[in-house]
Amino acid sequence: MLLLQYHNILIQSILQERFAPDTQPANIDQVISDFDNVTYHVSTPESKTKILISLSIRCFKDLEKYGATALLKREYGEYVVQPENGYDFSIVVDLENLPSSQEEKELLIQKIALLKRNAMAAPFEKAFGQFDELAAEAAKNSLDLSVPEDSGAEVMAVHYREEESFFIRASHDRVTVIFSILFREDTDRVFGKVFLQEFVDARRRSIQNAPQVLYSSKEPPLEIRNIAGVKEDVGYVTFVLFPRHISRDRREGCISHIQIFRDYFHYHIKCSKAYMHSRMRFRVAEFLKVLNRAKPEAVEEKKTASGRRFGAR
Amino acid sequence: MSQSLRPYLDCVRSSLTAAICLENFSSQVVERHNRPEVEAMSSPEVILNPLHISRNENEKVLIESSINSIRISIKIKQADEIEHLLVHKFTRFLTGRAEAFMILRRKPVKDYDISFLITNFHTEQMLKHKLVDFIIEFMEEVDKEISEMKLFLNARARFVAEAFLTNV
Repeated sequence: MLLLQYHNILIQSILQERFAPDTQPANIDQVISDFDNVTYHVSTPESKTKILISLSIRCFKDLEKYGATALLKREYGEYVVQPENGYDFSIVVDLENLPSSQEEKELLIQKIALLKRNAMAAPFEKAFGQFDELAAEAAKNSLDLSVPEDSGAEVMAVHYREEESFFIRASHDRVTVIFSILFREDTDRVFGKVFLQEFVDARRRSIQNAPQVLYSSKEPPLEIRNIAGVKEDVGYVTFVLFPRHISRDRREGCISHIQIFRDYFHYHIKCSKAYMHSRMRFRVAEFLKVLNRAKPEAVEEKKTASGRRFGAR
Repeated sequence: MSQSLRPYLDCVRSSLTAAICLENFSSQVVERHNRPEVEAMSSPEVILNPLHISRNENEKVLIESSINSIRISIKIKQADEIEHLLVHKFTRFLTGRAEAFMILRRKPVKDYDISFLITNFHTEQMLKHKLVDFIIEFMEEVDKEISEMKLFLNARARFVAEAFLTNV
């Protein structure tokens, strides 16, 4: 599996099981975790047919500021209910009141499984909206599109993990997404550096259409330098999304894809570590074989034809 | 094999063959003890002069011999941060399994990455020339393994980055 999936597979499978036409309604009470310390709670508090799905996300306050509530309302409309205690957002699906066709059911399942992605999408959508406005304005004032200019648009900061955040900023010719990257282990840091270097070089080497990626391990990029809470000793990865990446039809995919960056990146670091480990295991076994060759095989005791042994007894 | 590696390994091989000339020798300090003198360092008259063989400043071998034991320490080439990390991981992996490798020392000698301790009991059980073969093969393979792992990491990183960016 090279690319990670955007949806939560456990939610998907639970719902698929429940939505199947000939299943008996059953009690569910399950806590599911997702990337970035996101927790879901799937339960049936009232009756077996009403499934309550709640989402708890660390940075919900940040997301609300950038219009997450409206976005989630747009996506989940009729299903939205008052958030469950201890969670940030809840929806209820009534099994007796499902869409009739199989396709619509699948769509609903998919939509619910993307709950985290949709919640996190709010600042991205807002930034893309700002980009549209700024681009239109720039076109009106016939600004030269190739000249970068300070747009004055607000930098949106989302503190999605305890020590890591991402920042989004729109301007008339591009949208910049900056991730702060902090490694807990030395090994991860070294591996991460190799990976990030390749991200930076990829565009230069083969994929001209890719967004520009920049990496700095010490200083925060200029865009976010004056934001409170930006630390110096953290790595920063910048994605510069150009208009062709955020054209209307590619927008949704782009949001999902950029969101998954950190998880994807760390997932592959862990994978390489696991591979190294199995490789070392193999190599050690090989060395052991070589060493064991040094031990002479037990010489079989020689006997005479009649079965007597040689030597003193 | 590169031009300078061959004489280096040949030198280590012949020095080791000469150095592994061990006999049983009881401790002169404590009665009824038999310890590797190169580790105990209690009677200087049974310790021989240590021997350094260096290919360059990053790759060298130290052979310390005594009457009943010999200690071989190897410094593995580490050109950059990644290699340093890989060597560290690999040697830790090996020393963690020292029990299985009878001649491996759990802790390397200072300034070296990995050490072996061969005593007269090992040479009594095992064939001397095969032990030397093992050390030489170890030195060859370790370098190869480290550079392969590094290449793999770079290749993987490149592949992963391209896969991600083409999909944006």
